[in-house]
Amino acid sequence: MKFTYSSNLQRSAIRLDGIDKVTGKLKFLTDLSFSNMLHGKILRSAYPHAKIISVSTKKAEELPGVRAVVTSKDVPGLNRFGLIFPDQPVLCDERVRYVGDAIAAVAAETVEIAEKALQFIEVEYEPLPVISDPEQALLPSAPQLHPKGNILHQASFQKGNIEEAFQICDVTVEETYELPRQMHAYMETEGGVIVPEENGRITVYVGTQHGYNDRFQLARILNIPESKIRVVSSPMGGSFGGKDELNIQPYGALLALKTGCPVKIHQDRRESVRSGLKRHPMKITMKTGACRNGKILAHQVRMIADTGAYATLGPAVLDFAVEHATGPYVIPNVKVEGVSVYTNNGVAGEFRGFGGNQVTFALEGQIDRLAVKLGICPIELRKRNLRKADDPGPVDQQIAPTDGAAQVLKEISKSPILTKKDTENKKSIYEKTRTGVGVAITMHGGGLGFGRLDPAGGRISLNEKGKIEVAFGFEEFGQGLLAVIQQLVMKEVGCSADDIQITIGDTYCVPRSGSSTASRGTSMVWQALQRMKDPFKKQLLEKASQCIKVPSTQLYVGPGGIWSLDGSNAKPLITYRQLADKTNDDPIQIETKFPFPTTSHSIPGGHYLYSFAACAVKVEVDELTGKVRVKNLDQVVSAGPVIYPTGYLGQIEGGSVMALGYSLLEEAIMKQGSYVTNNFDSYLIPTVKDIPTSMDITAIEELCEGDEYGPRGVGEIGTVAVAPAIAKAIHDAIGLWVTKLPVSREEIIKAVHQKEMKEWLTKKI
Amino acid sequence: MADQKNIDEVKSPLEEKIKVSLLVNGHAKELQVHATMRLVEILREELLLTGTKVSCGIGRCGACSVIMNGKLVNSCLVRAYQADRKEIMTIEGLGKNGLHPIQKAFLEEGGFQCGYCTPGMIMAVTSILYQYENPTVEQILEGLSGNLCRCTGYGGIIRAIQKLTES
Repeated sequence: MKFTYSSNLQRSAIRLDGIDKVTGKLKFLTDLSFSNMLHGKILRSAYPHAKIISVSTKKAEELPGVRAVVTSKDVPGLNRFGLIFPDQPVLCDERVRYVGDAIAAVAAETVEIAEKALQFIEVEYEPLPVISDPEQALLPSAPQLHPKGNILHQASFQKGNIEEAFQICDVTVEETYELPRQMHAYMETEGGVIVPEENGRITVYVGTQHGYNDRFQLARILNIPESKIRVVSSPMGGSFGGKDELNIQPYGALLALKTGCPVKIHQDRRESVRSGLKRHPMKITMKTGACRNGKILAHQVRMIADTGAYATLGPAVLDFAVEHATGPYVIPNVKVEGVSVYTNNGVAGEFRGFGGNQVTFALEGQIDRLAVKLGICPIELRKRNLRKADDPGPVDQQIAPTDGAAQVLKEISKSPILTKKDTENKKSIYEKTRTGVGVAITMHGGGLGFGRLDPAGGRISLNEKGKIEVAFGFEEFGQGLLAVIQQLVMKEVGCSADDIQITIGDTYCVPRSGSSTASRGTSMVWQALQRMKDPFKKQLLEKASQCIKVPSTQLYVGPGGIWSLDGSNAKPLITYRQLADKTNDDPIQIETKFPFPTTSHSIPGGHYLYSFAACAVKVEVDELTGKVRVKNLDQVVSAGPVIYPTGYLGQIEGGSVMALGYSLLEEAIMKQGSYVTNNFDSYLIPTVKDIPTSMDITAIEELCEGDEYGPRGVGEIGTVAVAPAIAKAIHDAIGLWVTKLPVSREEIIKAVHQKEMKEWLTKKI
Repeated sequence: MADQKNIDEVKSPLEEKIKVSLLVNGHAKELQVHATMRLVEILREELLLTGTKVSCGIGRCGACSVIMNGKLVNSCLVRAYQADRKEIMTIEGLGKNGLHPIQKAFLEEGGFQCGYCTPGMIMAVTSILYQYENPTVEQILEGLSGNLCRCTGYGGIIRAIQKLTES
């Protein structure tokens, strides 16, 4: 066996945070310690749904070493949080709606004492009926989980007339797809330290994907001005959307303010599973009809999402899924209806791919089923229905012209996975193994979308130390944002890596850049620098000109300082350090603010900038054990220019393997509102032994002529097209249409047996 | 369920500490800790060597991997009494005089992203290369199969090892 991981992306410069990461020197926020630091623990609900009759903390408070216990009575401000609207109690007082609901929190001298203290908090519950299924939640008899009922959000899109269109279709396929509750499984569980400062201020050293938003939510909970809260939100040991919402911050802050001591909370894995966000489980029914020539005429979609106990970004995830229900295909008659439903299951929210993964699995499944029914090659069928560069977006909205769909489809069709006629085809030497191939494509919107506050911005300055300081309100959680910023500043300003100082993830000293989500970071850094670079360079040259008495027209900004254009000098005429010393009283600084580009059509959440991906896989199905192994995986991505090739490659490879887990291994199973999979012994994510032995990642950098939006982010796109490609490859191998993820080995064995039985019955003796 | 007797029980184990001698990254350490304290806690909390991470706490992810007497162990599964008089190497002990070639290969090939699994992963690679001069792919896979990485999909990690073993 040999691994071949290839790409047209050449590995590039070493990332800024690299040395500290490979030497273990990097202090994650959960590695911090402060003097007099206490340890916090959070008491979560014993039931998925119950009334709270009483809470008594007296005994816990008496335990030696316990310094404070907080309950709902200790929340000075709004006892709720939530990114879209606050419906989740910080500390529950009357009712609990899932097993992650917090009832009390303890600060003690050691973690052990804090844990012990939780056992001494007496909570009297009255258990209530548990809604463990979203369809059950919609029955009139179901208990109502929130004042407005059990429906969090509904979204729809309609065009043409599907009823009439289905009548003239030559073939129709209808299928129901079920997608699992996937866990982000970031390696660093939620945590950090909250430090009380002078004059009622606090510093929150806890990872998040939007420091300013945490600050806003915390101010509302603590009832103190935002200016008194500093959020240090970077670096993080992974997030993938999972740390976008508040997690332990409110409890740490309440305890720190009450005790006057720094309080560290670091959830263990079980606590993280129990309280943390997951990907929305969805049930999606699609009916799709086409003419004999392969033109798809009608597409009807109904989807129901299990959003769990509270809203967080649930409404936006549903909007995204509805928007992407037709993907990159032009279909004249469409009806999409989606509903996101509250249950007593864990909270579902933001997760890499944001609803696109679920709906794309279903959509691509439909295309593959149609292809078989029509007897048309799956790639050809896709081609016949594919959008053109100037076509509107999937919900008929105006979007930035892009030919990404055709580009990725054309490129993936050259993949050796698809073109190389397999000599071992289907049945291998080992009798019970069969191989098959599959391909799928996707289109993915970037940014938060129409109608949502999506401000971006940045700052560049020559600081007093003579460094070109660039500041963004973004976070580094592994995606390589620091490297992207460094590469872009070097390119756009013309300085060297040593000249740059990057400041991110600290509300004390960064401008507002919006969230580090929705594949927007790279995109917004590039756009901010386009706005700032010319005025910044102009000021540098003017100041330099004043200092060295050379006309600015004869100077340029270069490595180490300002250089003469005539090329006669071996070093800068003035270094940045010297220039900084001379501009102390009037520092050079440029700041920019602008919104993420959005469509002009008023479609909630409708996107303007899209990226595309196509994925081809070859799988091996063991008919004896039902095990599916992805042997080869190729992806082609069209997302504009590549800024940091190593990071880009890592995003697509990492996204591919995360999606492989989604397809074949991962499900956070809940029974009656409680987790069955509590840790990595039962929730399985891919290990090095589960990955394809070959992966090839191709980046297509070309954008449409006149495109002014530069690179699109690639944080999410690599996770979307993998699952449907695997499902098709399984069909190719053994004839089974998978409708439910993760693929069940039992289902495969059953399908193989049924097929063999059929063959046996029809065989002549 | 909670009465005064229970509260007393909580206090008592805190007083029972044992003496543990360790050689950590070449430095002799003597500590008074609970016999059942986890090695990962000794490293992180007593010795402030926070390069070793905790992620699952049950020996399934390898984020806490260290080398004990030449063997790779999950330090979350080793108790203080088991670590007594043992030689421990953590990420902080690797490449003391500049970067170790493994660290360099990880840097150059994108063998990490968020960096949280990285110290444990690098200790696992170190252990593989201790055992085999020219490890086969199977030996590499076996050696890394106890270390989870959620970011890279292992692509960069495999490339880093290939670079190391080819050179």
